[in-house]
Amino acid sequence: MDSVLRAAAMYAVLMVLFKIAGRRSLAEITTFDFVLLMIIGEATQQALLGDDFSMTNAFMVIVTLIAIDVGFSLLKLRSSWVSRLIDGGPTVIVEDGRILQGRMRHARLVEADIMEAARSSQGIETLDQIKFAIIERNGKISVIAKE
Amino acid sequence: MADQREQDDHRSRQFPVREDMAFQHKVWRFERVGWYVLVLLMILTLLGLFSRGPLSSRDAQSADGSIGVEYERFHRNGSTNPLVIRLQGSPNAVLEVELDGDWLEGFDVQDVQPQPVRSAAAGQGLKVWVQADQQGRANLHLSLLGEGLGTYQSRIATPNGAEVSFNQFIFP
Repeated sequence: MDSVLRAAAMYAVLMVLFKIAGRRSLAEITTFDFVLLMIIGEATQQALLGDDFSMTNAFMVIVTLIAIDVGFSLLKLRSSWVSRLIDGGPTVIVEDGRILQGRMRHARLVEADIMEAARSSQGIETLDQIKFAIIERNGKISVIAKE
Repeated sequence: MADQREQDDHRSRQFPVREDMAFQHKVWRFERVGWYVLVLLMILTLLGLFSRGPLSSRDAQSADGSIGVEYERFHRNGSTNPLVIRLQGSPNAVLEVELDGDWLEGFDVQDVQPQPVRSAAAGQGLKVWVQADQQGRANLHLSLLGEGLGTYQSRIATPNGAEVSFNQFIFP
């Protein structure tokens, strides 16, 4: 019984915590994000398995996690409200070479973040060359260049 | 001008992506409030809400001072915390103390130091006899492993009528 409860509780807690952290926080942008993710995984593992190292327990934990995950994706298909709540939506942060400052502040972004994405994806050198920069639902910044 | 820019920030674009800025602002507010909650949780943990800290560590005395108990109000399931019982009686005597209440159902006693002279069952709990020193003091150190969930009640008493009662809570 408790393998299912443990897995469901950890799923819920992690979901809320990652929502608080924001879509960009753990998008594996820096090496440190990656290290942080591994440490979180390490801390979670104990709570998920407890002191029961049987195969059945591990199996039931995995079954529960996957069942919840698939369940949510089915729910997302049916309801756009749930989908938006879980995945969020994209946000425009640069429009015709102009940075939307208020949005940048809320999203905890600076100009360097945009330019980094612009250089690596489009080879863009200046802000003026950007038509749109968008924070995607997964936290990555996609850049559309001017013609 | 600044006002206009702010309004422009709030306006939902339909191209190149369809935005819902009202919802996005709610998300950002949730992130900010959530961060405050996380910091608050950190502070509460440092203070000992989840055992070991000023909020959790307690020192209780019986009315006549012959029993003193150091205990943690909050425990976590699966972690070990100490419980110290300080007894005061006549010099070199063997002191009897009763540990009653439903606490044995929530805790596993991992260790008792020093080893009691004798121990016996007593209702829900147990009775132990410990050898006092020349000043009539005897300290009993127990290490408790939290195994249950919720509140457990303890009552520590001696035959001469002194008693200390307290509750301990075990977090999941």
